[in-house]
Amino acid sequence: MEQFDVVIVGGGSAGLAALKHLSSKGIQSVLMEAGSTVGTKNVSGGILYSKNPQTGKVYNVDEIFENFLQEKPWERQITKYILNCVSKDKVLSIDLTDSHEYQSNFGCSVLLNKLNSWFAKQSLEVAERNGGGIVNGVHVRNISWDEEKGKTIIQTDELDDFEAKAIIASDGVNSEVAEITGARKKFSPPELYQGVKVVVKLPEEIIEERFDLSPGEGTAHIFAGDVTLGHIGGGFLYTNIDSLSAGVVYHYDSLISNPMGPNNLVNALLNNPFVKEYIKDEVALEPYPDKSLSKMEQLRIKFAVNKLIKRWEKLRFEYYSHEGKKRFLDDKEFNSIEDVKSKMDAIHKELLEKYNTRFETDYVELEYSTKLIPDGKRCRMKKPYIKNILFIGDAAGRGLFIGPRIEGLNVGIDDAVRASNAIKQALEKNNLDVASNYLGELYSQSVQESPYTMDMERIDKYYIKTIIDTAGKQIPSQKIGKYRLLFRLFQNDKLRNISIDIVNKIGYNNMLSLIESEETYIHTPINIAAKLGTKTISEYSLSIPELSQRISNLSYNDDPQSHIKIINPRSEFMKKMVTLCPTKCYSLEGEDVVLQHEGCIECGTCSPETEWRHPRGEKGIQYKYG
Amino acid sequence: MSLNIAVIIKLEPDFSDGNVSYNPDGTLNRAETKTILGHHSAIASQAAFYAKVKYGARICIGTMGPPMADLALEQSLLLSDAEELHLYSDRSFAGADTLSTAEVLKTGISKMNDGKAMDIVFSGFRASDGETGQTGPQTAWKLGFTFLGNVISYEIDIEKRVITALRLISYGNNSLIEQVQAPLPVFIAIDPSYKSPFITVSQRLSASRYQKEAMIRSRNYKSLLKIFNAKELGVDPKLVGLPGSPTIVYKVEKIPKIKSNRSAQTVENIDPNNISNILEKIHETIA
Repeated sequence: MEQFDVVIVGGGSAGLAALKHLSSKGIQSVLMEAGSTVGTKNVSGGILYSKNPQTGKVYNVDEIFENFLQEKPWERQITKYILNCVSKDKVLSIDLTDSHEYQSNFGCSVLLNKLNSWFAKQSLEVAERNGGGIVNGVHVRNISWDEEKGKTIIQTDELDDFEAKAIIASDGVNSEVAEITGARKKFSPPELYQGVKVVVKLPEEIIEERFDLSPGEGTAHIFAGDVTLGHIGGGFLYTNIDSLSAGVVYHYDSLISNPMGPNNLVNALLNNPFVKEYIKDEVALEPYPDKSLSKMEQLRIKFAVNKLIKRWEKLRFEYYSHEGKKRFLDDKEFNSIEDVKSKMDAIHKELLEKYNTRFETDYVELEYSTKLIPDGKRCRMKKPYIKNILFIGDAAGRGLFIGPRIEGLNVGIDDAVRASNAIKQALEKNNLDVASNYLGELYSQSVQESPYTMDMERIDKYYIKTIIDTAGKQIPSQKIGKYRLLFRLFQNDKLRNISIDIVNKIGYNNMLSLIESEETYIHTPINIAAKLGTKTISEYSLSIPELSQRISNLSYNDDPQSHIKIINPRSEFMKKMVTLCPTKCYSLEGEDVVLQHEGCIECGTCSPETEWRHPRGEKGIQYKYG
Repeated sequence: MSLNIAVIIKLEPDFSDGNVSYNPDGTLNRAETKTILGHHSAIASQAAFYAKVKYGARICIGTMGPPMADLALEQSLLLSDAEELHLYSDRSFAGADTLSTAEVLKTGISKMNDGKAMDIVFSGFRASDGETGQTGPQTAWKLGFTFLGNVISYEIDIEKRVITALRLISYGNNSLIEQVQAPLPVFIAIDPSYKSPFITVSQRLSASRYQKEAMIRSRNYKSLLKIFNAKELGVDPKLVGLPGSPTIVYKVEKIPKIKSNRSAQTVENIDPNNISNILEKIHETIA
């Protein structure tokens, strides 16, 4: 049986960081990824941070991937961070850039397919030097121990069994490694957030003009108030290079107590007039065929129009792109940028006048996705290991959600380095004896020392101060009625510190229901926006795709074998799942919930009461953006 | 012990593009038709790649065709990570049928890898542009190699120089899998259903590494390319091209398109009544 030093299960950013770090220490490491290529099953909000805490050390992306800052595999560096309190069409925007930059080197918007492909390339080069690498299209089915022989055996759906001296589980929030080894129970709804996202197409320079950005710079908008239709959570709108990531994140239990289709929540955000004005673009619509013409002529016109629209869209997208403009001239396709504009306008005119094509203000949706997100305050594994398996990132239930502070990717990368360092030390000491728990305790201790762990356990009063100070300057406290007293209290250093100390003393976890309540997430921002917000008028209608269209636009490698089995088709949870599944995989037939189809996007929303597995290797969802 | 492998491939019209051009006499206008590595040739390349990953084989690819056929060699290189590419190109090869093509290929194979003997020659099951599946067997016959057709998997005992292959054979309306053993050298016409069984982690890692190398190598594939004309190959002019082709295309006729007498019925929405109607229609049809 083949044996490897370290096997990493899951090719997300944390797993790839572990592969890179272990390999750069000369340790043979093999990463198993279920997707046909790395990055196709990953989804992120998302901003990736590089942090600089005042106390303690975190391991940042730019430290692990040395070329990160030079090669820029991200989208835009976030230089503006705005909190928007929303009440219908009224919005109060509060600039929280200072809190975004709190103890940060930088934060950048990312699309995970692109980012993880880059990580994979960097990691693979180093891994191959040590006899390791990445194996795509492999689904880990079981892990077992032969303690007498000191063997850890990995079984997959695709390969002969093999052994590993140590394992890093980076297989996400729905970690099957955790489940099959009994390391932890499945996370329960109160421990999770549900995120729903769409990627919206928008030309690069239009983004820069609309969000008032320089090339390479980006903005993050987050939303609180009625955008989540009464659920505890918030919305987001991040600028990528030539697209926007728009979505909502809300407490999963909040959704269970008030069931609603997750796609409707993202639609509510998109339909907000303030957001509508950011995502709009000029869209060409194919004309209706002239039925008086022969079928052949109708077809000919249809093809001609289709071809012209595609050409116009491509030219326009490139014309409004820094690289695109350069490409036009480098490829000598056009003599000048003015020529590109003339060509674009000529096609526009031809479409308009010759073919009666309509040009409307609308938006263009590229991808719909959802993801469960662990709430690190509630569900992080206190002992993130079992025997010689170390859990990192989402798999260990780690993530930071503290008001507008939303971090996950960087936490996973920090875990990855801590796990890798622990393995290196254990290998050097030749102590991977599963009975001793030496490796696990080493890692557990290191994770406990991570500043991120501290942040998940308690309220950072300096961070709160930054928010209160910046927000306080922008909200005229005399106008906000009952919140005036609260603001005044919190702007007072002594009183704020005392109250936060009390919360931390009682236990942050014990106070969460009070802190993360409908009052703080929904009513307060609605009231603030209603009183102080500016009205936005948006007069165009969005052509939001139906859910079925969204699903059919996704790519799947279909698997005839189902990876979902309903445990109790009559449970109340599964009945709610008919509404809560983001892709409506379930329906009610009589008293029973049945699996209607498998447009499954592997979010795992239904996993608490299903036998849910990732599909076999290479099968299932294939995100293009992520 | 090293293993020398040859793959013979074919540049074929890209039928998927819907852009095939015909001459007035009904034959294919190859000059105006987009061409790609044939589907079956691609599978043959993948089958050779398995031997590379598992047994460290050295691969040489050969094809007979016009100068632009080197594109197929490049595509095959990407799939097999080959070390050497051969193009047999000469005006005198024009009009070749399967037998005269086999003569060129046999001679070309003898020149591969500095004339060292081949252990396995792979070909596709057949070509997709009107070929009859005979070039492979005829080349095997001319080489004097054991011919194994419809191979769906194979393993090699390098020490004993024996190959064990599974063949998919038709038996009436059923298919059977037959296991055969043969001493090397052999000629394998690979079945379209072949899929490389990389079942260990090491094989997957090697495959990934070789694929990366193939990508790099393909960027400069012309440096690996050897082009032979009839003289350089040293073929007998009577055995190649039209003179060497006993079969003659007398006439090509287009198959007339059957006029459809069916009419479509559109179902506007999915309501239970409509679904019942559709089911009734299906029952009527299959009853």
